[in-house]
Amino acid sequence: MGGFDWGAVWYAVPYMLQGTVVTLEISFWAMLLATLVGVVMGLISVSDLRGLKAIIRAYVYFVRGTPALVQIFLVYFALPRIGFELSSFWSGVVALAFNSAGFIAEIVRAGLQSIDAGQSEAALSIGMTSRQTILYILLPQSLRRITPPLTNEVITLIKSSSLLSVISITELTRSAQLIIAERFVPFELYAALAVYYLVIISVLSRASEYVERRLA
Amino acid sequence: MSAEPLLRIRGLSKVFGDIPVVDRVDCDVMPGEIVMVIGPSGAGKSTLLRCVNRIEIPSSGDVVVDGVNMAGEHRNGRMVADSPAATARKRRHIGMVFQRFNLFAHLSALDNVAIGPRRVLGMKPADARALAAEQLARVQLSAHMAKRPVQLSGGQQQRVAIARAMAMRPVLMLFDEPTSALDPELVGEVLAVIRALAEDGMTMLVVTHEMQFAREVGTRVLFMDAGRVLEDAPPRSFFANPQQARAKEFLRRVHAMPA
Repeated sequence: MGGFDWGAVWYAVPYMLQGTVVTLEISFWAMLLATLVGVVMGLISVSDLRGLKAIIRAYVYFVRGTPALVQIFLVYFALPRIGFELSSFWSGVVALAFNSAGFIAEIVRAGLQSIDAGQSEAALSIGMTSRQTILYILLPQSLRRITPPLTNEVITLIKSSSLLSVISITELTRSAQLIIAERFVPFELYAALAVYYLVIISVLSRASEYVERRLA
Repeated sequence: MSAEPLLRIRGLSKVFGDIPVVDRVDCDVMPGEIVMVIGPSGAGKSTLLRCVNRIEIPSSGDVVVDGVNMAGEHRNGRMVADSPAATARKRRHIGMVFQRFNLFAHLSALDNVAIGPRRVLGMKPADARALAAEQLARVQLSAHMAKRPVQLSGGQQQRVAIARAMAMRPVLMLFDEPTSALDPELVGEVLAVIRALAEDGMTMLVVTHEMQFAREVGTRVLFMDAGRVLEDAPPRSFFANPQQARAKEFLRRVHAMPA
């Protein structure tokens, strides 16, 4: 076994930082989209809108039952067919959001349903509609319970973004793979890659702990 | 005083599975009446109460509050069921107080009372808060308005819950075992508040196990067992001379009648 090629790791730094920026950008937009869609779907899941609830259940069933990699390919190849010519960057965002929104919907639904039934009954008893009950009573109380699983979901999303290397998005993982192909130093760069992800996710976990404390 | 009943219950049943928890109940409550609903646990008292404001949807029968059918409207001789929004509107002026208080855990005492006037009645925030402060003063909680439910004793929480219901200007108040979850030394303060409402002429239906309170404050007692109303009498005659064997047995068991 040869020595550890530090030179390759230093050489890769500017490329991998660029990849990091792309990973963060994609993850940010995907998370934003997934949160918006997922929260709305979660709210609908506990409402009395039967038709929409059935559609959401089917969607969640699909997202949970198929690999993220397959979903990425599906979105990447399906979007142009239905008339959406997106760059691979935005295809990636949509694919990740498509996956994540399903899980966020479940997190929000579970969070809302974990609130004591007496809270809803009290809200109904003063004449609130189910929409008002969810918005003013259940959602504020479930925010703190939702934060930890939501953080997990963000972490999963960031890690899943590495799969986007398969649709030629030069995010963090692909930026490392390109250097590996150029200099053939797989161990060094995959080790470095692991560290990059660890740093990103550690920072995120800290931020989430802070948010959780603030919501206490 | 009008001769029309404020609350009219006709043939009301609620069936869970095959069990009729409330079984063909008829009852008229006149304005100002204070109806104490008593009976053994599982008799259907709470379910009856919850059917009045449709927190529980009755299996059959009619509930009419202040001339308004709680289930829907008659149009061209046909009954058209209410939308959820219409049901919500009809619930506004029927106050309910729960055994376990059910204060909104994330809101201060003041906001617990203000949120109904604010969000349901559409009052301006400042007006809703002023109304809430006034209602909390009536239940002697002015000093605790900023506190969250967890910072209040059970008795204080239940008084906030009463203020929350009263802030909606109810025509009818439903109390579902309002003191059953309280430490014994806190029961008195809650009963005193309910007694004061009764003296102000509020029409109310009270499910309770406090027999002395039922006797002193009630204008009428309904005794329920197995979903049926077995007796409907003024408290004095009910407690002195219950007609049904089940009622006698119940009163003996709760020590409200000599053995």
